[in-house]
Amino acid sequence: MTAEPSAGVPDDGTRASDASETDGASETDDGPVIVGEGVVKEYETGGETVRALRGVEFRIDPGEFVAIVGPSGSGKSTLLNVLGLLDVPTRGDVRLQGTDVSTFSDTERTRRRKEVVGFVFQSFHLVPTLTAVENVEIPRLLDRTPAATRETACDLLDRMGLADRLDHYPDELSGGQKQRVAIARSLVNDPDLLLADEPTGNLDRETGDRILAEFERITDEGVGVVTVTHDDYVAEFADRTVHLVDGDVFADPAEAR
Amino acid sequence: MRLLDRLWGAFPTFLIARRNITRARTRSALAVASIVIGVVAIGAIGAGGVAFKEAQMGTLGTIGSDIQVYAGPDKEPGHLTAADVDTVDRVTGTADIVPLKRGDGVLAGRDGDRTGVTLYGVDDPRELYTVDEGDIPGNWRNGALVGRTLADERGLEPGAKLTVNRSDVRDGEVVTSLETYRVAAVLEDEGRAQVARPNGAVVLPPGEFEDDIYAQVVVRTENTRQANATARDVRAAFNDREERVDIFERGQAADRIDQAFAQVNLFLVGIGAISLLVAGVSIANVMLMSAIERREEIGVLRAVGYEKFDILRVLLAEATLLGVVGSLLGAPLALAITALINGALLDDPLAFTAGAFGYVAAGVAFGVVASVVGGLYPAWKAARERPVEALRG
Repeated sequence: MTAEPSAGVPDDGTRASDASETDGASETDDGPVIVGEGVVKEYETGGETVRALRGVEFRIDPGEFVAIVGPSGSGKSTLLNVLGLLDVPTRGDVRLQGTDVSTFSDTERTRRRKEVVGFVFQSFHLVPTLTAVENVEIPRLLDRTPAATRETACDLLDRMGLADRLDHYPDELSGGQKQRVAIARSLVNDPDLLLADEPTGNLDRETGDRILAEFERITDEGVGVVTVTHDDYVAEFADRTVHLVDGDVFADPAEAR
Repeated sequence: MRLLDRLWGAFPTFLIARRNITRARTRSALAVASIVIGVVAIGAIGAGGVAFKEAQMGTLGTIGSDIQVYAGPDKEPGHLTAADVDTVDRVTGTADIVPLKRGDGVLAGRDGDRTGVTLYGVDDPRELYTVDEGDIPGNWRNGALVGRTLADERGLEPGAKLTVNRSDVRDGEVVTSLETYRVAAVLEDEGRAQVARPNGAVVLPPGEFEDDIYAQVVVRTENTRQANATARDVRAAFNDREERVDIFERGQAADRIDQAFAQVNLFLVGIGAISLLVAGVSIANVMLMSAIERREEIGVLRAVGYEKFDILRVLLAEATLLGVVGSLLGAPLALAITALINGALLDDPLAFTAGAFGYVAAGVAFGVVASVVGGLYPAWKAARERPVEALRG
């Protein structure tokens, strides 16, 4: 970790110095993976401003399994996008491993996303023209380390119980197998934060259990896992459940009412 | 298989690109076909044009640095004399000159048919002609040389006798005489621009003609520019107010012919280039459709850490691959068509010139460039889409 280039630092001097103070290796290992304070996200849709997030606070620690639940339209996906650096908040502070994400340039955000965040998308989003092992390799395909990447990808698929499916194309895999390929892909860059959108949706209970067990193993390795889910079963399994209602976060569902 | 995997692994953008091309086979095949057509159009039209020019130039013979001096309308007497030839020789300095005498004759055939022939009197036939059969006598005082066309028509070969009914102008009167010559050699046929073209003619020693009458003097110079200067000098020597000599400069004609060929070829290749333009548009269309279909997929790539530039690279690799495949298929096809044209025009399918290869190479280059340019907009459009939007579907 190094100090961020001054070009990306906002004119708010305190924020910049905060970033450099907390910018240390030990912080990365022990401190929270990502912290948000007063995060607001607004959209312009058809000339109307929609507030998807209304000043939420969040904190994800290493090895923590957090489930985000809430009705559709409550801002779950927006929150996940902010956590994954796919979206920048309109207002508020988001610190990724101690660094203010608003100091990142577009390119830098992409790079940090690649280094720190692993995604498991809702409908898997595997590339249909690539085999299982190639799909797992995608995030590292341009790194010009084909041998090492192939080894890591094979190990991960082996761990997912898919050692005999390496050269299968996505349409030759079942839903559960595809989901496990997607999880292997999210882990190929050794992330510190895993974001999963409905990881057990459309899967039977047995496959779902297997995926949850995998998440547990990942958290044991110190990776923070955040999942958006409708499934109470997943929520019960999590260390902590966050309720999102109309863009506000509640630790207890009772508060929301 | 592992080796192939490793090869593709070394070019990951091309791995993704190749898989995408094979995803929509028909569509990719059609895009490739459009490139093939463009490359063949430029290559075959250009190379075919070169072959056509070669063929025409072969018929016209070597053109360029010769000038021909004739008696002009104000000349007195109305022909070039030995003194005039000396003057030309003096004025032109080191350039070779070939004084020509000329007469007409009629060959009587065995079955009674009569054929008019041109008779040339040439001092040094070795300088003008190539011998096909027999020998030009070292002492060029008697004997006759005949062109290949005439020899084949009349069944003449070295040693044969040739009887010519000559009609010459002597002292202003036409005098006819029957002369018999022995054929010493048969000369190779020459192109249309050859001075004293031998094909259907009889070449005789100058002693067989009236002494002081020359039909023309050919001056051979190094190049067109020198020919120009020499023509000016000769004019200055003979013509003051009166036009005593006429000069035909071949260089001007050669330049005009060259220019005409170049223009026609440029026009045809231009038409070929339009077909590649269309190919580029078709590539753009294919890539745009592909990018729209793969919107979510591109969003995933962006989400897992691909830069905009990486996306641009992947899509451009795809367009490039289409162009390269199309060009690689088109080039041999263009060469094959050129070989057919060569066979038809030059009697040798393999008579490729550097110019012909140049046109095929240009076709290939344009094919690849058209594909890349066609892929630019779709690639740029896909790369600049925000991943959040793309993933939302």
